[in-house]
Amino acid sequence: MKRTLQSLFALLFSMAVWSLEAQVVRGTITDKAGESLPGASVLALGESGAGTAADFDGNYSLDGLKPGKITLEFSFIGFDAKKVEITLKEGETRNLNVALDESSSQLDEIVVVGYGVQRRRELTGSVVKLDAKKLNDMPAPSFETAMQGKAAGVQIVTGSGLAGSPSVVRVRGIASIGAGGDPLYIVDGVQLNQDYFSRGNSGGMNQNPLAFLNPDDIESVEILKDAAATAIYGSRGANGVILITTKRGGRGGLQFNFSTTQGISQPSNRPDMLNATDYLQLYREAWVNDGNTGTPALQRGVAWDDAQRTNTDWIDQTLRNGYKAFYDFSVSKGTEKYNYYAGVSFDQNQSYVIGDQFNRISGRFNGDYRVSDKLSISASTSITQTTYDRIDNAWAGGLGAAMSTALPIYPVKWDNYNISDAGDTLNRPGDWWLQAGANNNPVALRELKDWRYTDLRSVNNVKVTYSPFKNFNILASTSMDYYQSMEDIYNPAGPNTTIVGSSTAGQGIADRYPQRSYNYNGFLTGTYNWQVNENSKFDFMAGTEFQENFTRTYSMTLRDSAGNIVGNRNFVEDAAGPFYSEADLRNNYDFDSVQTSFISRFMSFFGRVNYTYKGKYLAQMVLRSDGSSRFGPENRFGYFPSVSAGWIISEEDWMKYNRFFNYLKVKSSIGWIGNANLTNIEFESRYRRNAAAYDGRDILYPLNNPNPDLRWETTQVIDFGLEYGMFEDRITGELAYYRKNTTDVLLNVSLPRVSGFGNFYDNVGALLNEGVEFQIKTRNLVGDFRWTTDFNIAYNYNEIVSLGGYSADAVSGGTNDTRTVVGEPVGTNFLVRFSHVDATTGRPVYLDIDGNPTFVWDPADRVPVGNVLPDAVGGFTNTFGYKQWDLSLLFVFVIGSDIYDSSSKRQLGRMDDWNKTPHIFDRWRAPGDEARYPLMTLDERNHGSTTPWINTNLWLHDGSYLRLRNLTVSYRLNRDQLKAFGLKGAQISFIGTNLLTFTRYPGLDPEIARDFENATDRNMSVNITYLTPPQERTYSVRLNVNF
Amino acid sequence: MKKSISSIVLAGGLLFSVGCEKMLETDLQGADLTEAEAIQSKQDVLDILQSCYDVTANVYNGRVQYLAELLSDNLVEPTVSEDLTEVFNHNTLFFNSTIGGIYQDPYITAFRANRILEVMDNFNFSATEKSQLTAEVRFLRAISQWEILKLFAQPNGFTTNNGHAGIIYKTSTVEQIVPRDPVGTNYTAIIADLEAAVDDLPQSSDYYASQDAAHGFLAKIYFQAGDYTKAAEHASNVINSGRYSLGTSVDRFEVDTVVVSEAVFSTTSNSLLRDFRSTGFTDNYRSDVNADPIFKGTLEFYNTYAGDTSDIRVKELFELVDDEEVLVKKFNQEFFDIPVVHLTDLKLLRAEALAESGGDLSVAIQDVNDVRERAYGGVLNNLASNASATEIINAARYERRIEMFGEGDRIQQLKRRGAIEGESTQVRGNAWDCNGMIIQFPISEQTTAFELNPTGGC
Repeated sequence: MKRTLQSLFALLFSMAVWSLEAQVVRGTITDKAGESLPGASVLALGESGAGTAADFDGNYSLDGLKPGKITLEFSFIGFDAKKVEITLKEGETRNLNVALDESSSQLDEIVVVGYGVQRRRELTGSVVKLDAKKLNDMPAPSFETAMQGKAAGVQIVTGSGLAGSPSVVRVRGIASIGAGGDPLYIVDGVQLNQDYFSRGNSGGMNQNPLAFLNPDDIESVEILKDAAATAIYGSRGANGVILITTKRGGRGGLQFNFSTTQGISQPSNRPDMLNATDYLQLYREAWVNDGNTGTPALQRGVAWDDAQRTNTDWIDQTLRNGYKAFYDFSVSKGTEKYNYYAGVSFDQNQSYVIGDQFNRISGRFNGDYRVSDKLSISASTSITQTTYDRIDNAWAGGLGAAMSTALPIYPVKWDNYNISDAGDTLNRPGDWWLQAGANNNPVALRELKDWRYTDLRSVNNVKVTYSPFKNFNILASTSMDYYQSMEDIYNPAGPNTTIVGSSTAGQGIADRYPQRSYNYNGFLTGTYNWQVNENSKFDFMAGTEFQENFTRTYSMTLRDSAGNIVGNRNFVEDAAGPFYSEADLRNNYDFDSVQTSFISRFMSFFGRVNYTYKGKYLAQMVLRSDGSSRFGPENRFGYFPSVSAGWIISEEDWMKYNRFFNYLKVKSSIGWIGNANLTNIEFESRYRRNAAAYDGRDILYPLNNPNPDLRWETTQVIDFGLEYGMFEDRITGELAYYRKNTTDVLLNVSLPRVSGFGNFYDNVGALLNEGVEFQIKTRNLVGDFRWTTDFNIAYNYNEIVSLGGYSADAVSGGTNDTRTVVGEPVGTNFLVRFSHVDATTGRPVYLDIDGNPTFVWDPADRVPVGNVLPDAVGGFTNTFGYKQWDLSLLFVFVIGSDIYDSSSKRQLGRMDDWNKTPHIFDRWRAPGDEARYPLMTLDERNHGSTTPWINTNLWLHDGSYLRLRNLTVSYRLNRDQLKAFGLKGAQISFIGTNLLTFTRYPGLDPEIARDFENATDRNMSVNITYLTPPQERTYSVRLNVNF
Repeated sequence: MKKSISSIVLAGGLLFSVGCEKMLETDLQGADLTEAEAIQSKQDVLDILQSCYDVTANVYNGRVQYLAELLSDNLVEPTVSEDLTEVFNHNTLFFNSTIGGIYQDPYITAFRANRILEVMDNFNFSATEKSQLTAEVRFLRAISQWEILKLFAQPNGFTTNNGHAGIIYKTSTVEQIVPRDPVGTNYTAIIADLEAAVDDLPQSSDYYASQDAAHGFLAKIYFQAGDYTKAAEHASNVINSGRYSLGTSVDRFEVDTVVVSEAVFSTTSNSLLRDFRSTGFTDNYRSDVNADPIFKGTLEFYNTYAGDTSDIRVKELFELVDDEEVLVKKFNQEFFDIPVVHLTDLKLLRAEALAESGGDLSVAIQDVNDVRERAYGGVLNNLASNASATEIINAARYERRIEMFGEGDRIQQLKRRGAIEGESTQVRGNAWDCNGMIIQFPISEQTTAFELNPTGGC
């Protein structure tokens, strides 16, 4: 009690003393243009240690300072910290306004790395950081789209123009064939479930597992590229790692933020197809060329006269101006004790294809609570519901049908009565015209078929940090990534529908395919920072991690009248509508049959040691051991080490006074990282039993050829890097060289059938990726008129070094658009060479394997003629600023990739039931014609083949392009204007995407990510188009206000 | 601080010491079983054996037969399917998916059969049971791969030492990149398997391996290899057993409820279970439900036999439409059993073999006459008792073509006659030994060691 009173008196006394020493510094923190910097921090260095953050007007007030000399440090993300030394008199209140320079080198920025953070200057690995500003500069339902062209060595192939399509992301080339080639995505420490094939490629599109993230919730994205950076993720890091950090509350009072984007979507290139007159003329020409006479017999039994009366523009029937509307509202606050960020958003994303719309409602809460100096708790939770109204596309219908099997001679609807021979009325005027099949009337299919995905995704994470003593922290993290998906399809039945004459379908058939994925992740790390002396510093980190994920699919148990189970089903007949809108269906049908997928588990141990000597010599060692349930007992654990070192040359005395470089660092690393991206247990035999299968007896049979030796795919990565800053950071950048040797490449080998199986996972062969990356940022003009240029280019050489004796056709599965050829890159176009059109006969002339001309197309004559991987990718951004105006132009480019237009073998090949493009006008018609395309014929033998549609390099094109990816003009309100509106910040922007494209590719769009069937396909078939919808061009207005 | 460090070490230690291996062992889900879970008893092994028969029934459901038939002069160009047209045109490409599917099935049987041999010692089969099981799997892998050999490699006798490329003959489940064995080696291996099996098999069985079936296959194989003496011996083992008779019907493709007395070894369809193993025939030949079936006979074939109005087979099994199209009625049922080895084949085979090898011609004449009496409903076309060897051979060949129409035999006989007898047999102007007369392997087979068949030349 006595002691308590003493303490109380001491406290009161000290308060009295403080009040006497009420020296105060106050003022405003702005940028060079005078705009306030809300949240900028002020810290009194030295003994006092006091600090605060600026409010939303940039105002700060720092009291409780001692009189005398004091140094204040002003800092803000994206700006150079500034130290100001002042001398305070006793009781003085000093006004001090500070303008911070925008940081160019960002050398001292904090960079998120695996299981921790590091200062950029101390990094020995290759890491690119993109902040929120760079990710929000264009409207995109999914954040990865906005990374394109902004990070050297990171290739983004944006998904097709469909609203929910995923992009393909490749970091430093492609280091795998059969296993997934996408980088690992981690949100706030949670390794995401990233399944692109949860619904296969139904409807001509894959799923986008990243679309649940609201881009406005993202604070920064770090892309880890080399072994020094990714080895800490061991077997998951071979394709690079993308760390996503979401926003948290900053110091200061309540801050509200509202932003909205309104825009329209159009195809970047409108498909052009023949009209009915041209199509019929072409058809008649083929008919005559084949030696026929009289009126041609058209496909699908359409009468010639009827065809002449019809001219449907199916492209017009399937396209629109899509409307996009995005709203985001967030609130955040931070104090000494706690901080939080809470946000909600709604995104309505219509594509330019009628019927295709992706809506997302999301909510996020991130909070941190400091229980004591030693203990703090953080929680992040997000919940997102998406509804995706789908239609069939690409090869499955929609715009794809409009570009292929929906012929202009087919009407959309009947305009007369269709009477049968028996006198029955089969169709009335206004009924859908389905005579050529529902798939060939994309309007009818779209209007009749109701197809929706309703997905719920919630990523939750709790972290507890405990610091038992100075410089030592223990972090325990646990998280769950839950994904629930309902696919609902409804097809009405009866007259004027696609289901006619069914005795059981009743009103219609409702399908539902429920799916739930569970992804659990927990890790425990300990870090210790040991300052040995003023020159030497060690940072130790060690940890362990566990991850489990699996998927469950559900169906309804089907029983006979006696109650015996006779099967499962996912549809209900005689349904009035789809499951999502029919409560009766949801209440009366129980999806009680559960199938659980392969359960994948990872168990890992890892450690990292960083050493810094004199702040200029850097070294790092990393080791991770991963155990995976995907491998057998002999190969279950893989070990992935890396060592790296860096030297900040500019810190040397002999460099300090040079006129050019103010910063220069060299770094190098070597490491071994892995890949285990398999989708099932392949190391042991799997069997299945069928009852009464043959001769009424049971059978038991193996499903796979097990590979007990299946092991980790390993990539050795060597990296050399140079970071530079010149002329006081007016020029900054990075140069890097890397060499990635992948061995034990996981291949889904198309087994020789003598094995008794179709395919087999095996570690065969080797891959090489070697590349150079260059990035430069120049601040060309500073002052009132500002001009900054950011340029990056990455060259990558890819080669299949070995395939372990398997052939070019050995890689199994997928659309099989390209091949694996030893000595050539992954995704080699392995095709018969087209030479020319014979001017006399109009027949195509090919080259045989020896290069001799031949009229015969033989796949044995295939040779490597191109590849879909680019030689180089990059982007450059020019940002101009004048007072409150900013103009930003982002160009992206791809050099040296080939595009295989698989659709054109039918759009421009022999005559059949596909419509053609106007390119066909350049065809042979009469002896002597010099033409690009051969004679029209209905008989493939006139094209030298017994196969109707043949692959040759006639359909292979240069895929290089330069594209104005993004143009943004923005205007920020100044302080006076803000005051007039009662706001703390406001900006309005006009944004245009894909406004210009320069390319020699004659097709729709040189940036192509088609629908893929599996991971192999995703690795090998980028830049293959098969009726793939082109990218969208958007025009948007974005408003962002703070209050 | 000490306390803190202790707790860290304790917490870390707990995590690190968890049985990692156990945590990484996950069960298979759904209906899948590991091999250890799946094969726990003798019955489980026998269920795998049953799965070999299951696949064998798929092999013989008409597909291997029609590939061979398309190569021959029995069929006209199929009405649809580019894949099948390639076969007909003697120009198969390695991307032909129909061929790829047919090629794979016999090797599925071989894998399962070989796996049985590898695991059977883990179960307490008696010596007798073990012998029979071994015999059955050797029988199954031999006949399965024999079908592949006939279609994908030039015949025995194509080269004097039979060193030309054959197939990979699988006798274990080990997956290796190896070259094709010579045809001579293939024949040796197939015959060795069947001869080793024959004594340990049951004497006879409708749908399962038996001594009679093994002898029947050996007869066919020796016959194809030109070893007529052994062919006749093995055929005699079956014919002389008395267990089979030609019966009175010229149609041996019957539902499982009808006893086909001449069937030595069949695959079966089960009407009760709607398990139809005859779709390769019914989907392509049936003329009762399809006015324009995919496969139709050639006029040349029809006219060869139609002149003899007493030939019951022409009337019952074929129909000439508009003097142009020869519809096949032989397979006009929804489903039926497939007699893979039957008495007609063995009798005609033995007749020709005896005639070729200087054997007992009276037996040969009787064999031909047995078939003819059924075909013509009497003795009117019988060979004379003093018929010469040449007459017997010609008669046997004549009957064989119509008797085994659709069964894939015709092309093998043309090849045998070309390779063994030196005749200049050909189909549609293409010699028996031109490249396209054998089918190209699927592209999946090509490795650094495995060479595909040569193309062109037909």
